[in-house]
Amino acid sequence: MRMGATSRRGLLAGLGALAGAPARPAAARSRYVFDARAGQLEFTARHLGVLTSTGRFEDFEAELLIDPERPLTSQVAVTVRTAAVALAYPGAVDLLRSPAFFDVERFPEARFSGRATGEGRLERFALAGELTIRGITRPHRMEARLVERRQDPALGREVAAFSAGGTLRRSEFGMTAEQAAISDEIRLTVRVRILV
Amino acid sequence: MSASSSEGWSAAQRRLHWAAALLVAAAFAIGLVMVALPLTRLLEKIIAYQAHKTLGLLVPPLVLWRLWLRARRGRPAPDPAIPAWQHRAAAATHGALYALLLAVPLLGYLAASTAPGQIETTLFLLVPVPHALPPDEALHALIRPVHQGAAWALVLLAAGHAAAALHHHRRGRGTLARMLGR
Repeated sequence: MRMGATSRRGLLAGLGALAGAPARPAAARSRYVFDARAGQLEFTARHLGVLTSTGRFEDFEAELLIDPERPLTSQVAVTVRTAAVALAYPGAVDLLRSPAFFDVERFPEARFSGRATGEGRLERFALAGELTIRGITRPHRMEARLVERRQDPALGREVAAFSAGGTLRRSEFGMTAEQAAISDEIRLTVRVRILV
Repeated sequence: MSASSSEGWSAAQRRLHWAAALLVAAAFAIGLVMVALPLTRLLEKIIAYQAHKTLGLLVPPLVLWRLWLRARRGRPAPDPAIPAWQHRAAAATHGALYALLLAVPLLGYLAASTAPGQIETTLFLLVPVPHALPPDEALHALIRPVHQGAAWALVLLAAGHAAAALHHHRRGRGTLARMLGR
């Protein structure tokens, strides 16, 4: 596993599964930096309308500006190493890295940056921003929610879990291969746990 | 041993025999193709896997139905023109064939269940079949070759079974004819 941003801060390095304490308080909002150890970034495609397959990115860096009391003011930026795509089917990773899909040689990174629109409540709030895949940037909306917030007895700290989901059309990013076998619509899911 | 019937195989027993033969031949052939297909022919590969799983999973219920019919109704009386050792060899082959007809699809189902790729099983691309086991790479690596080896054993044994039936048929015996209902 590569050394992520969590260790760069040198804080709470042993926690592994959590984005550590805020690096730099910014007014009421706190800045959290996390990678694949504290969060999950998945994508799901459908096949023939009845089958699904889910892959994930094992190397990404995310920065979250959030006031856990008021997540409706959140801001998020995620940078994904496209070569770190993972899908547990023989040959799938090579296919997804190939020029027809993520084209990782030419486009080593994909990005999302967005902010809460202020609409909604904790159980369901909107994030709007821009998604860049294969060098093409499109507006992208995600729906986020606070999954749970509870005291973690092992850590002696309060932990909040957020998730966000959104749908994109891969053809809008120039990824048009295998239209018959792989749905154009791809579902993105992000999960992260942070120390409040 | 079960009761014996001098009237030959019933129509249901004959149909179930040939249905299993066709399903196994098709599932085996598709199995070889689906594994060989590259991911660049993804649509064919996906369809081939689902067809293989659909055909394969139809076999055990048909075989259980047949075993039930055989227990209830019995099988035709042995042809006295065939030597006893050949009857014993045939009985052993039939036992092994029945066992493999049940075991190979079951192993295939377990291989699909434990596959790390988590591809669903959907009969006729319509009926979802829940997987009994969670993905488990180590277990999958164990089960898959057993499924494959047992499938080859089933097909080779069935080929021997067919060769023996043809052999008796050429000698004017009714072995094949009575399974054809003639």
